Amino acid sequence: MKTLVVGLGNPILTDDGVGVKVAYEVEKVLADTPIDNANAGEIEVIEACAGGIRLMELVVGYDRLILVDAITSANGHQPGTIHKLSYEDLRDVSPTQHSACAHDTSFVTALEMGRMLGLKLPTEISIYGIEVENLIDFGDEPTPAVAAAIPHAAAAVLLELNGN
Amino acid sequence: MERITIDPITRLEGHGKIEIFLDEEGEVSNAYLQIPELRGFEQFCVGRPAEEMPRITNRICGVCPEAHHMAATKALDKLFNVEPSSAVRKIRELFYEAFYCTDHTVHFYALGGPDFVLGPNSPPAERNILGVIHKVGVDIGKQVIACRQRNHHVIKMLGGRGIHPVAGLPGGWSKAISAAEREEIEGIAKENVEFALFSLQLFADVVLANQAYVDLIVSDAFTHKTYYMGTVDENNQVNFYDGMIRVTDPDGKEYVKYEAKDYAQHIAERVEPWSYLKFPYLKNVGWKGFVDGKDSGVYCATPLSRLNASDGMATPLAQEHYEKMYETLGSEKINGNYTPVHHRLATHWARLIELLYAAERMLELSQDPEITDPNVRVTVTNTPTEGIGSVEAPRGTLTHHYVTDEKGILTKVNLIVGTTNNNAPISMSVKKAAQGLITKGTTITEGLLNTIEMAFRNYDPCMSCATHSLPGQMPLEVTIRDSEGNVVERQSQYIE
Repeated sequence: MKTLVVGLGNPILTDDGVGVKVAYEVEKVLADTPIDNANAGEIEVIEACAGGIRLMELVVGYDRLILVDAITSANGHQPGTIHKLSYEDLRDVSPTQHSACAHDTSFVTALEMGRMLGLKLPTEISIYGIEVENLIDFGDEPTPAVAAAIPHAAAAVLLELNGN
Repeated sequence: MERITIDPITRLEGHGKIEIFLDEEGEVSNAYLQIPELRGFEQFCVGRPAEEMPRITNRICGVCPEAHHMAATKALDKLFNVEPSSAVRKIRELFYEAFYCTDHTVHFYALGGPDFVLGPNSPPAERNILGVIHKVGVDIGKQVIACRQRNHHVIKMLGGRGIHPVAGLPGGWSKAISAAEREEIEGIAKENVEFALFSLQLFADVVLANQAYVDLIVSDAFTHKTYYMGTVDENNQVNFYDGMIRVTDPDGKEYVKYEAKDYAQHIAERVEPWSYLKFPYLKNVGWKGFVDGKDSGVYCATPLSRLNASDGMATPLAQEHYEKMYETLGSEKINGNYTPVHHRLATHWARLIELLYAAERMLELSQDPEITDPNVRVTVTNTPTEGIGSVEAPRGTLTHHYVTDEKGILTKVNLIVGTTNNNAPISMSVKKAAQGLITKGTTITEGLLNTIEMAFRNYDPCMSCATHSLPGQMPLEVTIRDSEGNVVERQSQYIE
């Protein structure tokens, strides 16, 4: 099994790049302590500031996909809250910052397109959305509550990678 | 003043909303597309070494990082006063043409095309790339993906990374092209030419063969007579990578041609109380409001604008299609040059002609003996001061302006991004489309919303040149407010 972990976002736009920072944290931990589980298979971690068709193209060839992205839910959650979402959630609601692209289409539509065209796309998809606060100011560092969520989100991703 | 809001827009990302302001009579008085403004980019950059800019600015936008990377690299050439060699210029341009092949392809098939392939009145849920594939076949979808895949491969090969390229250096490029790579790129470029011709044939079959669509393109509702801006080479032919900025007037005569470094002498920005957007205009013509004509400083910078601002295309097949477009849309040929096409929906056609040009130019460059020159780096010795670089981004002329201290540490940064050029024309297009359909007492219908969307979609506006906030499904929402700002009507629907 091949797994791809994608940290989505713009790492110089304050909270927008939280997904990228989580992905790097995951990558760091994996480098130090590789997963000791034969079922985990091959794991790759990348960052991307892409949505829609571009994102779909990046995930071709993998069996399992874990997306980590910023999210602004409509329900007034505190910044730093971590949501675990399924592909169905992505389809039904409007969950994450980067899953769609202005210049083509949503990730859900792009995946549907890819399947229609016979591309090998992940069948297992999970999404971690971290509730964010500031998406309009340029800056390297997330706001404190969002920064504090990074290790927790990374731990959740690692737990999933470990097969738990 | 009454206000109508369309929020958000169906196939465009971002927090964009359309705001339509009505006067007391219920007629449209102003309109604009809200584009979220990001803050603090200059502060973010000041204090950093200028040579980091190609790698920082390519983070601004997830859609056209290549354009920012290239504008930044060219600004560094000027900042460090180092002239890139002919080989370096060709490698950069080759990289840039591959980028155009991906970008223009996806716009036509996923964003612009659905209105024509499925029809402007088809249900919004079907008017997307899936609808296009259903209508014209799975094979076309495969071709679109294959085109993007092979060009992304070239971008990665030449730019060093898949999404955010890293190869641009002051006066140079960090990686030379091997003989084997050159051969591979040549094959890819040939496929691109075939694909572009195929796409133009599809446009001819689906759009031009349907008189109703041709009538729609040339209808007054989608027509504005403004100035046009684009980068041209020494023969006044379209160039994406380098040249002079040329502006032609609504009759097609050259108004001004200037070097990118002189942009501030020619472009000023208008601020309006009802919008936080800045509206660039031609300083020496002056701001006369959101109006057409030679006396109004409003200019447009899009694929169609680039064609209008040029005397033609530098490659043979693209030139053939350029002539066909101007002949078909009723342009006159005066002293060997066509008068401008002012029909905004023709931008979709112009984009495909540019796709063909990018493919042909890529092929030419891949066959150039200089392209495998291994000497692609130079030692920079001059003291930096100030540098301005520009390229044609797919969405308009993109300018980067940096000032540094003598150590090359940034003290001032200014960017004029592609879409910003078009803020005034987009507003005018939205206003005109709305005016044609909103009169006193008119009920808002889905047709109205779609017509307004079509009016701005051809500009392919980048909603923020930074954030890509976009839900999987978006509610299309219309809010009508009375003169006190109270909501008198609201309609919404979920669409893809």
